[in-house]
Parts: sequence; C-alpha cells; structure tokens
Amino acid sequence: MKTSKVILPFFAVGILMLVGCTTVNTVENAQKSGQRAMVSDQRVITDASLNRKVAIVGVNAAMTPGGLLKAQVELENRTRSLQRFLYRFEWFDANGMQVNNIISASVPEQIEGKESKFIYSVAPNPNCRDFRVKFIEAN
Amino acid sequence: MKNKIILLIIAAAIPAAFTGCATNAHYVQTGDKEQIISLGQINIQDYANAANAAVKELLESGAIDKVANPPALLEISRIVNNTGQQVDTDLLTKKISIALLQSGKALTKTVDKKATGYQQEAEFMNDQKTTRMPDFTLSGKIIETVDRAGNTRRTTYSFQLSLNDTKAGVQVWEGEKEIAKQGTRSSVGF
Repeated sequence: MKTSKVILPFFAVGILMLVGCTTVNTVENAQKSGQRAMVSDQRVITDASLNRKVAIVGVNAAMTPGGLLKAQVELENRTRSLQRFLYRFEWFDANGMQVNNIISASVPEQIEGKESKFIYSVAPNPNCRDFRVKFIEAN
Repeated sequence: MKNKIILLIIAAAIPAAFTGCATNAHYVQTGDKEQIISLGQINIQDYANAANAAVKELLESGAIDKVANPPALLEISRIVNNTGQQVDTDLLTKKISIALLQSGKALTKTVDKKATGYQQEAEFMNDQKTTRMPDFTLSGKIIETVDRAGNTRRTTYSFQLSLNDTKAGVQVWEGEKEIAKQGTRSSVGF
C-alpha cells in the first residue's frame, strides 16, 4: 500500500511530462540542387530563454522576379515541446532609413518540438536593401 | 509589536492585490503581445495577418508586374462575407491596396465620386477619352468554419483572394490564408 502511494505520484508526473512533448521527424533529399545564398547576420539576444528554445539557425536572401528583396530565416526548436512566438520584419532603404510599411504586423507563429522551420518576408518596395527580424516569446 | 507588523503587511498587500487585478486604460500597439483573441470573431490582427500574407505572396509571385504599362491599375472587386458576423472588408482590402501602392507596383482605381466626376468633365472638355481600364481586379471570400469537441471550440477563418486579369479574363494569382483559433473562451495575449 505504502509502495503504491510512493509510485503513483511519480507515475502521474511521468504522464504529465509526456503530454505536450511531441517532436517532429523529417526527411529530405540528400543531394541538394538548390543553393541557399546565406547572409552573415548580426544578433542581439536579450531574451536568452527564447533563444535557447527557438534558435536562429541561419539567414538567407534572394531577389524576387519583380526586383524585391526576399529574406528567409531558419529556426529550430531545441526543446521537445511546442513553442509559440511572434515575429516582425523591418525593412531599411539604402540610407539605412526604416521604410514605412503598412504590412508590418507581428506574425504569430508556432513550432513543434525539435522542428526546423522557415519564416520569410518580401520587401515592401524595390528600394529596400536591409532587413531586421524581431522575435518575442508569446505569453 | 508582532501584531502591528502583521497588520502592516496585510495593509500593504491589499492595495497591491487590487492593483494587480485592475488594468487602467493604456495605448497599445496593434498586433502586440497583449492582443485580445476572440474565439467567435475576426480580430483586427487577423485582418493584418491575412493582408500581410496576401501581399507577401502577391509581390513574390510577380503576377502584378506582367502589364504593358507599369504600374498596374487595380480595382478592388467584391469580397464575399461567408461568416456569421458583420465584416467591413475594407479592413482587409485597404491594407492590401496601400501595400501595393507603397510597393510602386500598382495603383488603385479611385472610387471617389468627385475624382471620377472631374475626370469625366476633363474628358468631355478635351473631347478625349483618357479613362484607363483596370489591368486587374481583386476579389475574394472570407469563410468561417466552427468545430467543437466538448467545451473546446476551434474557429477557422479562411481568407481567399484572387487577382483577375481583366483582358484575358483569367485568375493570374490566388492566395489563401487560414487563421485558426482554439480554446474554451476568448483571452488576452497570443
């Protein structure tokens, strides 16, 4: 009776730990025909907790057929549980001035445990040369 | 002495507890972390996210670049509301037309009666037809689907948009953004 009383809480905790821990298995072609144009990035980490959970793997950029800069960021969930965050792209012209953009909403995003995910955006006009992406952890 | 200290702690804790409960009105940024998420309603950030996705895909596709005389002339057509709520579709379409105007890729045909009146008057006075036919129209539909399991409710809003070529009579771009919300009640914060 005493043993079962001791085991039961451990069993319950174990079940609780398993719930919500779903990770992602992936498969992809090994010989890649596409080449990502990686850009060197500069990071400012103020929320180390978010950075530990959802890590920035790399940033690459390309031009669209219409001459707009397209930026893509690869993220990886280093935890085994689902993570929620908001991100926002900001764009800058050749003089480093921020480009006024009506479509600069914070986008809610979620990433499964151990999942690798890409987020991207397209510059609001052809004058944009640089970009910045902000991440904030959801409540 | 001991009782006094306890009373003081309680006296200090009561206002602190009340301050924690009440939220004074303050300005917030649209789309911030504290946004209100309603289960049975399209929130302002949902329109912004749907417009954001549509503009991103539309600009990326280059569909709007394929016109003889750029920038393209766009007319906002009908957005069908298939949800159970009253929707001002300008919350979606205006954001898209502003973004396209800011991109320099498209102009929007005016709906202002005064402006069209002046234009018609100028045409009559100069005996010259200057009206430009729109290259594209933007039409779409907003659909709501509700699923329930016990007290949990999932509402999905599908924002479907089509860019129609007026000369060829074909859809040159289509996009869909689904926004799903799930829970038992509305909440604050993403």
